[in-house]
This record gives sequence, structure tokens and C-alpha cells, in this order.
Amino acid sequence: MAGTINVAFIGNPNCGKTTLFNAYTGANLKVANWPGVTVEKKEGHATYQGQDFRLIDLPGIYSLTSYTMEETVSRECILSDDVDIIVDVVDASCLERNLYLTLQLIELGKPVVLALNMMDIVEERGMEIDLHRLPEMLGIPAIPVSARKKTGLSILLHAVAHHKDHASQSPFIHHHHKEHSSHRHDHHQEYAMVYRDDIEDKIDQVMEQIRSRYPDIPNKRWHAIKYLEGDKNVNEKYPLDLSGILDRDYEKEIINEKYDFIEEIIAEVLVNKSKNAARTDHIDRYLTGKWLGLPIFLAIMALVFFLTFTVGDFLKGYFEIGLDAFSSLVSSGLAGVHTSPMLTSLIVDGIISGVGGILTFLPNIFILFLALAILEDSGYMSRVAFVMDDIMSGLGLSGRAFIPLLLGFGCSVPAIMASRALEHRKDRLKTILITPFMSCSARLPIYVLFSSMFFGENAMLVCYSMYLLGIVVAIVCAFLISRFDGSRAEHALLIELPEYKSPNARTIAIYVWEKIKDYLTKAGTVIFIASVIMWVLLNFGPAGYVTDISASFGAWIGKAIVPVFRPLGLGYWQIVVALIAGIAAKEVVVSSCSVLFGIQNITTSHGMTAMAGTLGAMGFGAVNAYALMVFCLLYIPCTATIATIRRETESRRLTACFVCFQFLVAWVVSFAVYHIGLLL
Amino acid sequence: MILKEGKNLCTYRVCGIHTQMKLERRLEALGLTQGALITVLNNDKKGALTAKFRGTRFALGRQIADHIDVEEVSEDGRDD
Repeated sequence: MAGTINVAFIGNPNCGKTTLFNAYTGANLKVANWPGVTVEKKEGHATYQGQDFRLIDLPGIYSLTSYTMEETVSRECILSDDVDIIVDVVDASCLERNLYLTLQLIELGKPVVLALNMMDIVEERGMEIDLHRLPEMLGIPAIPVSARKKTGLSILLHAVAHHKDHASQSPFIHHHHKEHSSHRHDHHQEYAMVYRDDIEDKIDQVMEQIRSRYPDIPNKRWHAIKYLEGDKNVNEKYPLDLSGILDRDYEKEIINEKYDFIEEIIAEVLVNKSKNAARTDHIDRYLTGKWLGLPIFLAIMALVFFLTFTVGDFLKGYFEIGLDAFSSLVSSGLAGVHTSPMLTSLIVDGIISGVGGILTFLPNIFILFLALAILEDSGYMSRVAFVMDDIMSGLGLSGRAFIPLLLGFGCSVPAIMASRALEHRKDRLKTILITPFMSCSARLPIYVLFSSMFFGENAMLVCYSMYLLGIVVAIVCAFLISRFDGSRAEHALLIELPEYKSPNARTIAIYVWEKIKDYLTKAGTVIFIASVIMWVLLNFGPAGYVTDISASFGAWIGKAIVPVFRPLGLGYWQIVVALIAGIAAKEVVVSSCSVLFGIQNITTSHGMTAMAGTLGAMGFGAVNAYALMVFCLLYIPCTATIATIRRETESRRLTACFVCFQFLVAWVVSFAVYHIGLLL
Repeated sequence: MILKEGKNLCTYRVCGIHTQMKLERRLEALGLTQGALITVLNNDKKGALTAKFRGTRFALGRQIADHIDVEEVSEDGRDD
């Protein structure tokens, strides 16, 4: 067998490309970013009949222009030597729109195999696709598959292996222009997509210029078309003076010509196309309805958080029992081998208490991400953008900006990255600024711990109020900023509303596993290191190893900063140290409290009782706890989020401004909450 | 008429798009070209509407819907 075949998977958003990719690779993915940009790159491997395939999952895009980062990245990747063959995944139930990208891919000149996904839905709707005529018209193989039902997967790889060396098939071109072509070349024998005679003339003239100036460019026709479209990237890479040939931009006409051809294809290959998806329209009548849309969305979110807290807490109880048992086992084991008290303290009070405490929140995190994955995979997430558009418009943002905010409930890092979908930089920056106010899952342990300690039966309501407050603060900030910058006219909502579908178990499982893996990795790295550093800071002082924590370096740092936090009811050096440590990762606030207050397994019921007693003796009551939770909700995001803000804004200064702004907002709101709380 | 004035479940033909060049090209790349048919699905709200063209549903903000000129077509696809 030949060496590895490099296959790029590409397709429109919502075409089932990721489900297909996952069907081949499972969870064995290498996820990274494309060099220099924050567009996710996924890679995996598959084997078929002894042949190894390296699969590259490209971002979901509608076209191959150079308007967005995703489009540029996909185009560069396909043109590079890194890709031998392209698998163009199309949603066969929306063939008309999907074929536009197909025609652009064919023009790129690399071998293309068309994967007709969602054929099961095509059948369900009583539609039929002429699978002989379609490849004839496009000049590439078309393989029917269903990623969800896992049918056609082997045949697709078989086709990939066979067609990797065929840049184009036999000359099967059937684009019938209304007028008879009098073009001097018969391009119908060479290319799938043939334009009007005058455009073809221009393409030929530009190709002549390319031949003489850049003889080594591999696909001259594609480059010529890009010159006609006025493509910025191609013009910058290969400057060419075409003033004598091109009198205007032909992009609009090229797009129209492609759609003319697509209409011709659809007319020939699609049977019973008028049968539409009545089910989606029916559901949309309620979910996007004028009166019901918003209440249904709020009810869904309330259910998500209800499940996160109730079912999550129920399961968390078992984790705590396990942690307790493990902690006792290690303690007695270390005592049995006569380990020094210092090392025992480091392992039991520092590492197990810190990292273990965070791991007990795994059930809550799992349920939250599971719910977000189901909302996304079912097709509901984009409806939220529509439902929220009116409200978001009032804030100077498009409804689309609500998706990053919603994802922010899971984790701020992917949420901030999701803001890339917004086209205007100003909108992006505003969304990035307010996204960290949405309460991420890392803050959940803080709420659960402090609300359970101080609010008893009302603990869940207190947790809810944090999420609500986060949304309110984000909205108020966005509103105030939009008043100041006065930019209201640019925010046009444009988002596809995919068909509703029952979520795919495999896709959901892989998505949730990735998030859980991140959480576990964080517990094993950042939180582990932070726990050890905290232990060192609290067990060493100017006099060396100390048994009295108040003589430690940590206490010294905390006491120096306490005056800043006293007006918020947080004038306790231990709390201040925990808040500083929480910048590493928000969960560290909880693990630090465990070390700071010398309470083992703080998240268990007896740990909480002990902690509440200690705090109560210091004069730290329910109002202080609420102010602390508010501060944790709003203050400086974690280091991973700060790094993402820096990458997305491409500015250190802006990042610093954002972080300062968030600290200021946290201080002001906590101050207000604390003093109002004292009055009540 | 403009798309925002469209009635639910009525089909229109696009006569022209008058917005920023970049947005216009994006809409065209999605298939909203001159002459394309677009069916309004939900135009009950003041702002955005949902519509279907080239077999796919989209939510279009008011800033877009206000700048698309359309004409009504009868059920057999002819212009009224």
C-alpha cells in the first residue's frame, strides 16, 4: 500500500461534517489551532483495507473567498501540499446551497470526492437524487453516506483512495447557457463550471498574464478567476497589473453564474424537491414565535441549571464520600511508612485537598456541558440568536453575539473564540469584554460551596441569582458601551437555522468528553501547581517552615492587599489570597480556601460545617459570602481566558484594559451588593 | 417593496440588494442572488425575520431585510 493519504474534510456549517469526521476518528483527535490564528484544527486517523488516512477537519464555511479567517485558513490548507484529496461533505437535503462551495472546490484543481450526507433525511422526505447524473454534471464521484447511521463510510474511503490522483474526471460538462457559446476554446470539455463567453475570454487573458509572470503557479484558471473576483489575498501574493484587461470586479457575475449552473443541476438531479421539512417549520412556530420564543428559551435555561444543581449535587455526594475515603487511606498509609509531617501535609492538605476538592464538581460540570452540547447539536442554539436579536439590538449587538454569551456558561475560552463569528471588530471586542461576566462552570464550585455553607435551603436560588446577575451586568455594560460608542447600525444578524434533529449520541459524547478532559487536565496541571504553590506560600515564611499560617508569606501578601477589599466585606487576608490564587483558575478559590483555613476536604458536608464555623468566628456571614460570590463572578478572568482575550484582540493594551475594567466592575458591584445587604 | 414588508409564508423574488459590498457578496454567496426566490417564514417581530431560500432557513436582521428589494410571485412562480 502507498503511504498515508491526507484527506481534508470540508463543508458548510451544519452539514454533518463533524459527525462524519467523528464517525471515522472517534475521540482520537489532535485538536490544535491553525498557525497564527485561533481557528481550531482537528486531525485524526482512519484505516481502510490496510491504507492509512490522515483526516483533517476544516472549519465549516459557505464559500472560499478570503472574507473570513476560516475561509482563508481552509483555502490555504487545501492549496498546500498538506492535502492530497478533498472530501466535500454536503447536506444532501439542502443540496442547492451546498453545491456552491462544491463548485468552488472543484475549481481549486485538487481531487474532490462529494460525500452526500444525510441521505436518510432525503429518503424520509420522499426526495430522490439522481446519483448517476450528479457526478456526470460535476465531473467528480458522489458517494451517498449517513454519518449518523454510519452508512456508506467504507465506500467513501474507497472512493478517496481511488480518486486521490484524479484532479478531474472525464470531460462531463453540461452547463447549458441560454445563448450558444461562441468562445474560441471549448471549455466544456475541460471544466465543470464554465462561465459566459465574455467572462471566459477575460479568464483566458488573465491566464496568459499569469503564465508569463508566474509560470510555476499550479492552478492558473483558479487564480485567474480570483483576479476577476478582485480577491485580496491572491492579489497580494501574486501582484499583477491587469488594468488593460479587467475594467471592473466580476465577483457578482461569477457568483450568479455559479448559481445558474446549480439551478440547472438541481433541476436535473433532484426529484420531489418541493416536499419541505414540515416538522422543523412546525417546531419553529413555537420556539421562534413572537410571544413564546423568549419564555421557552428562559424555561430551557432554567431547566439546564436546575439539572446542573440538583442531579449534579446528588452525584457529587458520592464523589465526596470517595474523596474522604481516599484522603483517610493516604493519611494512614503515609503515617504507616513514617513520612515526615511536612510531606504528609503537602500531599494530604495541599494536593489531595486542592485537586480532589475540584474533582468532586465533575458531575455538575458534566451535566452543564451535556446540556449545552444537546442544545447545539439539536439545532436550537442558532434559534436563540434569532429570539434574542431584538434585545441584543438594543444593546448595540446582533443576536448572534448571544451565542458566545451562552457558551460562556460553559467556559469563557471557547466562548470568546466563538465571538469570531461576528464580522465587525467593534462587535467582537464588545462581546469579548462582556463574555467573562457570564458565569462559567469553573465558578460553580465557589457558588455551591459558599451558598451551601451560608444559605441552607435557599442555596440553589443563590446560585441561580449569580447566573442572572452575570447576565444583567453583561447587558448593562453592553448597553452603556453602545451609548458611548454610538455604533448601532452595523449589527446585522445573518445566521442559518438548521433543521431540528435528534442529537447524535456519539457527537455529544465526544464534545462532552473533550470538555471533561480539559477539566481533568486543568485539575492535574494548573490546579495541582496552584495547590502546591499555595501550600508553599502558606507553610513557609521569612523564618522558614512555619506551623502558624499567619506567619507565612501568603499571610504577608494577603494582609498588604486587604485594605482594597475591606469595603466589600472581604477584608480577610485568607479570602484575599484565595482570590489572587483564583486568577490561575477560578476553581482554585475553593481549593485555596481548603489550604488557607486548614480544613481537609472542604467540599464534604463536615468540611463545610468546619469552614462555616471558622468563618463565622471571624465575623464573615451570609452577606460577606454573597459579596464574595459576586466578586468571584465578575472579577479578573482566569489566565487561560486572559490569554485567549490577548490572542483574539491581538492587543496587550486592550487586554490589560479589559482586565482592569472587569476588576473595577467586580469591585463596584460587590461594594453595592455588600452595603445593600447590610441594610436589609 | 422591501423584504421586511413581506408576509409570512409568501414567496418573493429578489430584485436587488442595497447594502455594504461585503455583506452583499456574502448574501450572494449564500444564494441570495438577484432573481432568487425567498419565502418569508416568520416576520412577526419588529426586528429580525426568518426566511427560506435555496432550500435553507436563515434568520436575517432588520438591517439586512430593510435593504433587500423584492417582488411578490404567485404560486406558480410567475411575477405578480
